[in-house]
Amino acid sequence: MKILVPVKRVPDPATTIRVLPDGSGIATDNVKWVINPFDEIAIEEALRIKEKQGGEVVLVAVGQQTWQEQLRTGLAMGADRAILVRSEAALDTLAIARLLAKIAEEQKPDIIILGKQAIDDDSNQVGQMLAEMLGWPQATFASKVEFQDRKCTVVREVDGGLETVAFDLPAIVTTDLRLNEPRYASLPGIMKARKKELKEIPADSLGVDLTPKLKIKKLDPPPKRQAGRKVASVEELVQVLHNEAKVI
Amino acid sequence: MSQEFDSEQSLIESFVRRLAAKYDRRYWLQCAKTGQPLDALWRELGKAGFLGAMAPEQYGGSGVSLTRLAILMEQLGNHGIPPLLLVVSVMGAVAIAKHGTEEQKRRYLPPLADGSERFCFAITEPDAGSNSFRIRSLARRDGDHYVLNGQKVFISGVDQSEHMLVVARTIAADSASDKREGMSLFIVDTNAPGLTAHRMDTQILMPEGQFQLFFDEVKIPRANLVGEEGKALRAMFDALNPERITAAAMGVGIGRYALSKAVEYARTRKVFNTPIGAHQGLAHPMAIAKTELEMASLMTHRAAEVFDAGGDAGMYANMAKYAAGETAAKTVDLAIQVHGGSGFMGETDVITLWPLARLMRTAPISREMILNYIGEHVLGLPRSY
Ligand SMILES: Cc1cc2nc3c(=O)[nH]c(=O)nc-3n(C[C@H](O)[C@H](O)[C@H](O)COP(=O)(O)OP(=O)(O)OC[C@H]3O[C@@H](n4cnc5c(N)ncnc54)[C@H](O)[C@@H]3O)c2cc1C
Repeated sequence: MKILVPVKRVPDPATTIRVLPDGSGIATDNVKWVINPFDEIAIEEALRIKEKQGGEVVLVAVGQQTWQEQLRTGLAMGADRAILVRSEAALDTLAIARLLAKIAEEQKPDIIILGKQAIDDDSNQVGQMLAEMLGWPQATFASKVEFQDRKCTVVREVDGGLETVAFDLPAIVTTDLRLNEPRYASLPGIMKARKKELKEIPADSLGVDLTPKLKIKKLDPPPKRQAGRKVASVEELVQVLHNEAKVI
Repeated sequence: MSQEFDSEQSLIESFVRRLAAKYDRRYWLQCAKTGQPLDALWRELGKAGFLGAMAPEQYGGSGVSLTRLAILMEQLGNHGIPPLLLVVSVMGAVAIAKHGTEEQKRRYLPPLADGSERFCFAITEPDAGSNSFRIRSLARRDGDHYVLNGQKVFISGVDQSEHMLVVARTIAADSASDKREGMSLFIVDTNAPGLTAHRMDTQILMPEGQFQLFFDEVKIPRANLVGEEGKALRAMFDALNPERITAAAMGVGIGRYALSKAVEYARTRKVFNTPIGAHQGLAHPMAIAKTELEMASLMTHRAAEVFDAGGDAGMYANMAKYAAGETAAKTVDLAIQVHGGSGFMGETDVITLWPLARLMRTAPISREMILNYIGEHVLGLPRSY
């Protein structure tokens, strides 16, 4: 089975994010960059499928040269090769989905596994757009993926429960948190990673309209946390919760 | 430095970042406070092939590379979770991989690489620390065995290890024509009959305690002799450089961890009307600490590369250990200063780093003995002892 896994570079969830004073973006000095955690789950799932049934795991990212770092990490986890679609400009989800659709047409994977969303902008759109563009079935928020010949069964995490769907390949799956626990890149994996193929393609060579349809106007940091307040007794606490906070 | 190196380094960095998200400083402190081994962390390091960084592939290792091991150690330190056992176990790995018999390699390297068995290292004795030639532990031949008698002190992680690499004499110091003669290396099981271990009262917050050991007629099979009888010096010195290099990496890491805490605090703490980090009285020492840490790191990598290339790493290993030891201690001292009175609270977790950082000036080799080495072997000065 040939599996395509799109990968995004995002700030480490453990970093404290600071919004630039003019609200145009985040301060990137001192930020550590990692693979989007949901994409890491997607890579892990792809590797498990490959280990069971053979095949190839191909990573693809749309971004700048620095994104090689995340692709190499994925290669060190065990993916076979990687494609970096080079774009210096930040693109919106629609342009990304269009570029990925092009790559999919060229690579002809049996399945594309993506993170359900990126933890930076939380868009939750690319997988769905890609399914529409390719005309493939999709199963989002997967917590379990199984195969029988060319049929795929996915358990989805939906509000308040689970939904099981089945469809034919090729298809799109987006991963939820409980799908698996991604492996660490091992030392032998790291040593092999640098010998694996990492191909760069300029984004503007793919004949796709990259004009943004969406513009980020402003980012606002969450309000500063107010200092807490000590109360003297349980009685006072109940009073305050009732009369001031009005939560009970 | 090559691009390949940079790319591997960043991959090891991201490995450790993920690992440290699960086994964080709180986990490390919990183990340190209860004297528990870093078992879960160790298992992950084994599973990911890092404990096999000093073992050839045919013995379950990942191919010998001290450079990779040093980077790993440094990164673990950066996150405040350095295992001292990694520094001492590298001795066993190197001695066996370089000088062990085929049988020893097959028996000891695979479990060492996957983390299921650990090695500590015992050379120091009450009257032989800086002067290792004065060790008195004596192993006498008795048929197909050696019988070991003697005493060791300050041996780290004995309770956490299955095996121990022991330096002992096979010719007593006073009967040897040259003090270098008669030093031998043995693999001894930590549960060998006749071996008793007592925890020492070292006051360092870390998961590995120190032990005083008594060897009372401990039988060691001849097959457990590493290298030639009486000629262990070569094997020992081969293993001492990697120990210094991993210790240097640990010092750099601890320093970086302390500095990151200091910087974070200095950025947010306001005493007058600016954050305290704006005062040059604090900003410059922090900038100097950062510079010195990076210098020590480069020197450590250089030492590891020379070792990996089969060169004489002595000069670089000693300089790296000196640089890292000094900067680790200075940086933690600075981090305490930046924190003001809070620096002495357990909750800010900076005073807690002090004994360990300070240790880097004393062990595994003291700064004076390093400077003696550089004076004598690098500068060609006469020695005083
Ligand atoms: C926490 C901890 C963990 C340790 N773990 C291990 C371990 O796992 N295995 C192991 O074998 N050992 C271990 N050691 C021992 C350590 O390697 C020794 O303590 C160290 O080498 C110093 O030896 P010493 O304590 O005998 O000091 P001494 O040799 O008595 O030295 C005392 C002082 O005199 C100075 N000095 C001595 N000779 C000279 C000279 N010629 N010129 C100038 N100054 C000199 C020294 O630098 C030092 O400052 C550990 C020690 C500690 C504290």
